[in-house]
Amino acid sequence: MAEPKEAQQPESGAQASAPEAWFFCLRLLGGRYAFEAPLVTEVVRLGPLTRLPAAPAFLPGVFTHRGEVLPVLDIAQLVGQGSVSLRPSTRAAIVHCGPWKVAVVSDSVEGLVAIPRRQLEPPPAESSGVAEFLSAVGRDRAGAIAILDLPRLVETARARAVPAGSAAA
Amino acid sequence: MTGPTSELVLFQVGPRTFAAVVHDAIRIGSVRDVPAEDLVLETALGAPRACTRGIVVASHDEAVERTLVVDQVIGTRSVPEVQVQPLPAFAAACLTSGAVTGFVLLDGDPVLLVDLPTLVREHATSAAPV
Repeated sequence: MAEPKEAQQPESGAQASAPEAWFFCLRLLGGRYAFEAPLVTEVVRLGPLTRLPAAPAFLPGVFTHRGEVLPVLDIAQLVGQGSVSLRPSTRAAIVHCGPWKVAVVSDSVEGLVAIPRRQLEPPPAESSGVAEFLSAVGRDRAGAIAILDLPRLVETARARAVPAGSAAA
Repeated sequence: MTGPTSELVLFQVGPRTFAAVVHDAIRIGSVRDVPAEDLVLETALGAPRACTRGIVVASHDEAVERTLVVDQVIGTRSVPEVQVQPLPAFAAACLTSGAVTGFVLLDGDPVLLVDLPTLVREHATSAAPV
């Protein structure tokens, strides 16, 4: 069931003069979003989801993967723009963001994309919705890609769920 | 069965099954003769539908007993401790209830493990006048 997707390193040689950044790309909110590829350890299918009581909407549940229970993060719910349709066939990217290990769900997974760093542009000046978590905007042959600051997004999700200093006992 | 085991009581609230450590339950019985003020109906686990069975729980810091109303007590299970897992760190940090402490894998399916005294205490705290 697991579909390992090790993050690859950019090749040396011809690309050395145009260093590329590697991102993991998925489709979400009707667009293409990506985050730093080394954050992703693998891509898996969700399987049966166990819902959690007293959980925020962006945490629709947990699932077991190789005997480990993993929490699912729905970015669309977090930014208040709908939700990802969760089915056993839905694919999730397992990511490590600091102390947190979560499975990010999306409408579909594209995989690794390489974008020359000099082609990355600042994100729009908006500060609402998903724009709040953008670190850059890039482009490849398939079109525009919004680059997410995933560690900040995950930490913001945690902080919004339980305001600092008031964690449940 | 070899290795350390956990004795768990399995119960249902609404359509969902939960597990709790047997030692947290003082007794199990009907709720018919229990005073209304001692009943714990709606909690983080949801609201029971049938409201016929109760698990009597002693709170951590009070010398009082409260009866958690459930739909069904399924029974007890002795489970190897290796099948008991804590909540993932991110989930634990996001839940607004501290009563859900982990999972027990029963027949391959994760069943939520509930700390009954904490559940009862949270109910009392939320019901207390401000």
